[in-house]
Amino acid sequence: MSSRTLMALALRGYVVVFFAYLFLPLAIMAAATFNDSRFPTVTPWDGTTLRWFGELAADGAMWQALGNSLLVAAGVLLLAVPIGIATALFLNSVSSRAKPFLYALILSPLLTPGVIIGISTLIFWRQWGVGGGVFLTVLGQATFIAAYVMLMVTARLQRFDRTLERAALDLGASPWQAFRRILLPFLKPAILSAAVIAFLQSFENYNTTLFVVGYDTTLTVYIASKVRTGLTPAVNALGLILILVTVLLAVAYEVKRRREAVAPPR
Amino acid sequence: MDGSVRLEEVVMRFGDFTAIDETSLAIGSGEFFSFLGPSGCGKTTLLNIVSGFLTPSAGQVYIGGAPMAGVPVNRRPTAMIFQNLALFPLMMVFENIEFGLEVRGIDRRTRRETAERLLALVALEGVGPRRVTELSGGQKQRVAIARALAVEPRVLLLDEPLSALDLKLRQHMRSELKAIQRKTGITFIYITHDQGEALTMSDRVAVMSAGRLQQVADPMTLYRQPATGFVAAFVGENNRLEGRVIDRQGERVRLDAGALGELMGRTGPEVTLANGTPAALYVRPEQLRPVEGQAAAPTLVARVEAVSFEGAWVMVATRLEGSGEVLRVQLGNEVSRRYADALTPGQRLTLGFDPADAVVLPLDGSPRLDAATGEVVAGADA
Amino acid sequence: MLRQLSARFGGPLAAAILVLLGIWLIVMVTLPQLQMIDYSLRPNLLPDQRGGLEDGWTLANYATLFANDIHRTIFFKTLWSSVLVTLLTLAVSYPLAWYLAKVATPRQAALCILLLIIPFWINEILRTYSWFIILAFRGPLNEVLMMLGLIDRPIRFLSGDAGVMVGMVYAYILFMVFPVYNAIESLDDNQVRAARDLGAGTLRTHRRIVIPHAKPGIATGCIMTFMLAAGSYAVPALLGSPGSRWFTQIIYNWFFEGGNWNQGAAYAFLLLVLCIGFMSLVMRIFRVGLGDIAK
Repeated sequence: MSSRTLMALALRGYVVVFFAYLFLPLAIMAAATFNDSRFPTVTPWDGTTLRWFGELAADGAMWQALGNSLLVAAGVLLLAVPIGIATALFLNSVSSRAKPFLYALILSPLLTPGVIIGISTLIFWRQWGVGGGVFLTVLGQATFIAAYVMLMVTARLQRFDRTLERAALDLGASPWQAFRRILLPFLKPAILSAAVIAFLQSFENYNTTLFVVGYDTTLTVYIASKVRTGLTPAVNALGLILILVTVLLAVAYEVKRRREAVAPPR
Repeated sequence: MDGSVRLEEVVMRFGDFTAIDETSLAIGSGEFFSFLGPSGCGKTTLLNIVSGFLTPSAGQVYIGGAPMAGVPVNRRPTAMIFQNLALFPLMMVFENIEFGLEVRGIDRRTRRETAERLLALVALEGVGPRRVTELSGGQKQRVAIARALAVEPRVLLLDEPLSALDLKLRQHMRSELKAIQRKTGITFIYITHDQGEALTMSDRVAVMSAGRLQQVADPMTLYRQPATGFVAAFVGENNRLEGRVIDRQGERVRLDAGALGELMGRTGPEVTLANGTPAALYVRPEQLRPVEGQAAAPTLVARVEAVSFEGAWVMVATRLEGSGEVLRVQLGNEVSRRYADALTPGQRLTLGFDPADAVVLPLDGSPRLDAATGEVVAGADA
Repeated sequence: MLRQLSARFGGPLAAAILVLLGIWLIVMVTLPQLQMIDYSLRPNLLPDQRGGLEDGWTLANYATLFANDIHRTIFFKTLWSSVLVTLLTLAVSYPLAWYLAKVATPRQAALCILLLIIPFWINEILRTYSWFIILAFRGPLNEVLMMLGLIDRPIRFLSGDAGVMVGMVYAYILFMVFPVYNAIESLDDNQVRAARDLGAGTLRTHRRIVIPHAKPGIATGCIMTFMLAAGSYAVPALLGSPGSRWFTQIIYNWFFEGGNWNQGAAYAFLLLVLCIGFMSLVMRIFRVGLGDIAK
């Protein structure tokens, strides 16, 4: 066997190990949900049960946190998606000597640790008497999620043929009509994708949220606090449900995206 | 409906670069008018000034007698056919054609009737509900025309719309465009670098180079009486022989072409050619023919270098014995058969032409073309 | 700028764009950062002392870090551990990125990418929590190791930095895989073939052809991973112990336990400087610009 085929085999073996590494922890966590043990584990196996789902459903604080998470995510969508679109349009339309500087500023939230975004938001709003809570969480999260939206919209915008806008103007459309009827429909798939990503980013955010959430707990913060204090397999039950929902969303999103990549949207 | 277009001392500068030098021009209502020139000559800039995409640095554009300064693109009585057509890919054919009416707030019924009528005009009945991405190149072309006509423009601006089509279709679309123009009576302003398109379709052609109008004339005049060296070289093929003016009698000019001896040609009454000044004589390949014995007019002696058979004619590349310059000769099949023996590389050939078919122009500093590639090589004659 | 925007979108929309951009960049990005720096340069005063004699700019909050042995140690530990996490993640990700980009068939690659995306979509807390279960004192990893006879008694994985680092590699690996994959993917296959054809071995091909081409992707992956690791609160909070605290935890304590926001702001700013420093270093080493990173 030549060294090259050996290398190729080793690479394939590595890929298998890699995916095992990626999924085994999640599988173990899921399995622990059904273990009739007071502590979340798979060893030893104390019998199979579904009671942790029942305990989870009875957990009022969890429902409260879920409600907050959805509220925050909705707020982030309303704020970050328009900002991201506006920024992408700005970068695509404007040529100025200040642009490289602005571009660095626009990207900076992506390169700043989440905790720092949370901290600076918390400090800034204190002088206006606004303390941690849902409102600050929306602001803090939207600060960096807007940049993700911008990147996704920009990627599509770069493939836009601006002659189409000129054609619309030439046919008598106002700039607003040209935007509304030509550019916006073109950007729609990217905006929808960005909204989905923004929602998930918001829903699962921890580092920024921790600093700005105050006494309003989000689901992610709730899970983390549960792990550290009062850990029961009910956390696993919650995790399992979240994973299933996420996987369904992810697969649906990917399938839709790939279908669009093959055929132009109808 | 007055579709006349007038440019008054229009200038366009981009920074230090002058894209359009002071240009004045009047295009009549209902005229098929072409701007012909190599890429970068400023013709597209001029079109964008008329359509309103660009505001001229100086000067004024009038459409139908009304000044257009301050009138934005979407308020001008013009419509453009873009080079890439710019059909809206997410809309179906109907929606594309109706777009201009929709943004004007015209009701759905009227819009659809107009679209149907225009689809019939461009011979595309029935494709209305299709997506534009499903259409062939020629069909897209027609949809673009229908879409532009839907807004009832007084002037239709066409920016090299045929350049993406293949040869056969391009030639077919020429007659189609001309027919539509005649049917609608709209002023067509057509931009092209393809002289075939300009000459076959246009009532008048403006030849442009380096931001300047070189000559504005009907196609026949342009070909027979080029006003500048650039036009002589750019429109059709031409041989260029330099010399000095000996004398001039009316239209007839005699040149001293050095080693080539004395040459004779014709010039227009408006051209100034003082005795002794440098000038160039242009004679087209198809005006040259072999002569035997003593001819009345001056002749040129050349050696055959290459003969290429082009179907309807034969193109002979020769080199002048006197000056070493290349001279291209186009011979009809009948003539070339008669001279078959002489038309082999290395043979000597005596060529003559009727002085009435050769044009003499001063060396006027207008841009020059590379004879082999057709590209503009210099802004000025030395 | 307004002129270019309103030429394209009309006045109202152009104004809306500028307002949104302004709110974001000024109110959400710039001013909070400046306010944080301002905070970090002021002493922690009671409300009635504000504006008094002691209220002025000082570097005292920064001096604290260097005076406090424990905090200083944790700061540098965070730095080194994050570098280590970054290098480990790169080492683990590179072969996979290479496989996806150049070895796998398009179908295999599409499947693998879907499989990669799924855990990427799952909550960071949950991904970390799954390792909490595995690494537990009586968890499956210890059980397996004991069953294999590799160890006699269980190991306390969750009491040192090792557990934290394992969790971080797991949590942030996809931020490395995707940029590196995208970069390698854009390499022309013929370049690899030509290198092989000219007699280069596997290692040399990677060192001379693939890695230089993938530099922007590698730089992006490293910058993101380092930033996430150094700025992580979730992973050390879940997988660490009081003996293996992370710098972010010190910052958190200043805010919510020590009640000294000024001190916390100074530490937060130092963390930011650390990340910016690392980013500049990587960008210099790899000779890439900001434009390459945002791809």
